[in-house]
Amino acid sequence: MTANGFGPMNVLGAVSITAEPFLPFVQWLTNSVLVAGIVVLLMVWATRKATRKISPVPVGFQNFFELVIEFLYGQVEGIVGKKVAPRAFPLLATIFLFVVISNWFGLMPGVGTIGFGQLSGPLTLDTAPDEHGHAPHFVPLLRPATADLNMTIGIAAIFMLTWAWLTYREIGVIGFIKHTFAPKGGVRGFVGSILVPIFLFVGVIELISIAFRPVSLSLRLFGNVFAGETLLHAMGGILDGLHPVISFLGSILLPLPFFFLEILVGVLQATVFALLCAVYIQISTTHDEEHDH
Amino acid sequence: MTAFPFLILAKASEPAGGGIAESLGLHWAKFLAQVLLFLIVYLILKKFAFGPIMAILEDRKNRIAEGEENLKKIAADMEAAEAKQAEIVGEANTRADKMIAEARESAEALAEKKRAEATNEAAGIVAKAREAGELEKNQMLSELKRDFGRLVVDTTSKVTGKVLTGEDQDKINQETAAQLSL
Repeated sequence: MTANGFGPMNVLGAVSITAEPFLPFVQWLTNSVLVAGIVVLLMVWATRKATRKISPVPVGFQNFFELVIEFLYGQVEGIVGKKVAPRAFPLLATIFLFVVISNWFGLMPGVGTIGFGQLSGPLTLDTAPDEHGHAPHFVPLLRPATADLNMTIGIAAIFMLTWAWLTYREIGVIGFIKHTFAPKGGVRGFVGSILVPIFLFVGVIELISIAFRPVSLSLRLFGNVFAGETLLHAMGGILDGLHPVISFLGSILLPLPFFFLEILVGVLQATVFALLCAVYIQISTTHDEEHDH
Repeated sequence: MTAFPFLILAKASEPAGGGIAESLGLHWAKFLAQVLLFLIVYLILKKFAFGPIMAILEDRKNRIAEGEENLKKIAADMEAAEAKQAEIVGEANTRADKMIAEARESAEALAEKKRAEATNEAAGIVAKAREAGELEKNQMLSELKRDFGRLVVDTTSKVTGKVLTGEDQDKINQETAAQLSL
């Protein structure tokens, strides 16, 4: 198939793994930063629309907003508990909403497919590989914000700082050390002293696991969204090089089932990210006496 | 501690190191731009969405709880009012029964009194009528005796042709009256 100039392998590398800047002299202004900015504006607009004329009897968009927030708050409260929920909720809800909207934004027509072509110029469609089987360099105008590791690491870093603050506030430094290294399960006496080295070792492993949480959180999200982009791109271009009508129909029909899959993956990944963050907060802010019960 | 993996990535992103971070597109300026954007949306949502919505949800929850409390209070008040009403109605019924009984007793007593008075009055009237009748009868009887005596005297004097003296007349009258009283 590749010998004929079409096939999935030719388009797999067409989606760059990195977000790309539009202007050579403004490195930070990448296509994913642009999408993040659009998502921010979208969320700000929605927020203003829902809460500008807030009333005790909700109408219109306020109703929907209340439904979402109440549902999310219930979920967060169920995990982190009544005491920590008011402080943890804003960040966890923002993470969920921002990630889900960013993920779904990547499914909008034109995102990742309209941009600057090396051969075809600005505002062009992504082009098929050339006769040598190489994809020409193409910079999409819009790239999902969560398909950029800078964004996913950024969210994870903000979460870890908030996590550290909440943990410090709830159990303090000594409490955290005890929570991490002290023998659990109420073991005392001779057996307890035997178990101390084991729990110290477990504590060290726990610290390493905590240190790598932001990496696992960010890489999981980034990997899934980037893989989704690549999958849609590959499915859309799988029949490139055949008859134009077949290629056109293929570019519409073949990615279609995967769009539904990506809608699911979008909300699933946002849920996983927010849920894990909530669980991390719950684990470290639970007092040992509560934990033992 | 949480910065540890970032330090590794940052180290890896240094030009001399190249490697993973560079190939994954990690870059401090891009990272900060994304962090800034996320922080903006976080702060805006916290201030303008979660804050007011949570406040209004809390307010609504309080209102509902207050409404429920009021409802319970109203139900309790209503129950108390119904009990009070039943008590008042019961008391009124008892009092009414008592009043009716008293009225009946009083009416009966009055009727009895009036009946006795009427009986007495009727008896008085009957006695007076009987006395008047007796008196009239006696009067008529004495008039009859007198007229009859006179008639006898007149008849006697006419039959005998003699003028009767006062003494004769009295004697005849007495005899006549004595005969009539028989």
